[in-house]
Amino acid sequence: MERRALLFIAIFAIALSSSSVATRGDQTVWSGIVIASNSGPPEPTPTELTPLEGTLRQLFGYTRLHLIGEARKTLKSGQEDWLATTKYFALRVDARGQKDGAYVLNLKLLQENKVLLETDAQLSKASPLVIRGPQIGDGQLVIVLMVQ
Amino acid sequence: MFMKTFEEKWTAWIDDQLTGRELDEFEASLPDKAAAQAEKQSAKQLGSLLREQMAPVLNNAEFFSHQLRERLDREDRRSTARPVSTGWWTIRRLLWSGATALAIFVICAVVVIHNKPSPDQSEYLTQILNYRVDPAVSPNATITMFEKKDEHVTVLWVDGLQSLPPEYAAK
Repeated sequence: MERRALLFIAIFAIALSSSSVATRGDQTVWSGIVIASNSGPPEPTPTELTPLEGTLRQLFGYTRLHLIGEARKTLKSGQEDWLATTKYFALRVDARGQKDGAYVLNLKLLQENKVLLETDAQLSKASPLVIRGPQIGDGQLVIVLMVQ
Repeated sequence: MFMKTFEEKWTAWIDDQLTGRELDEFEASLPDKAAAQAEKQSAKQLGSLLREQMAPVLNNAEFFSHQLRERLDREDRRSTARPVSTGWWTIRRLLWSGATALAIFVICAVVVIHNKPSPDQSEYLTQILNYRVDPAVSPNATITMFEKKDEHVTVLWVDGLQSLPPEYAAK
């Protein structure tokens, strides 16, 4: 009887620990540099942007979303930093831990060696961040960050 | 032999249990033999009357007494024949069952609390803490921040940055 009870408790404890490990999984932040435009050959919307496609079209009035640079970083300590680059632009992300369940990020949008914009954001896990950048030709530079 | 008291001799005389010399001596000791004889007759009549009236009652009493004894005997036999049952819920088993139930409750409670979605995942939008542009690089830049709550999207809208030629859209 005692052995059965101990076995029962042990099984539950193992199930609990495996469940907690599964739900505590590290999260990935995806950052993309996008050109939104109405010109150029039609192409499918990048997979990462599919959930935001309607919102981006509504915001900027462009139908075509073209991904020119991206980076994906799995956050473990919450202190990581990374870079998404294109030929002329770079998005530097410096993670500064978590606050209220969101990642605190310092973002710098660089055009070659110039800092066009710097911002500190608290990136929530269910809420993407969209930044409108400079006009490029007949399109618009758009920065997107989201937790995956 | 020991001497009988007058009351004992009197009772024995009424019950006709005195005989011989003892009977003669007792009757000789009576002050009024006629009155004593009348009293003896009266006592005998009362005795026979009582026996007549009480006989059924006594018979019933014996009957119930017999039944009661038989019933007690039956119950004694039954109680000795019945096996002694100790019951499944011993103190130790009760303790273990209680501990197991408590452990299951705690584990389930922890799992439920652990799997509950945190508020940030359902309610809170991304927040812009601060922003800045270099006035030397973008002197006409203005920044607006707004939220599209229906889509859970936060937007940092920068106007006035220098427009760039199409080749800047290169990968």
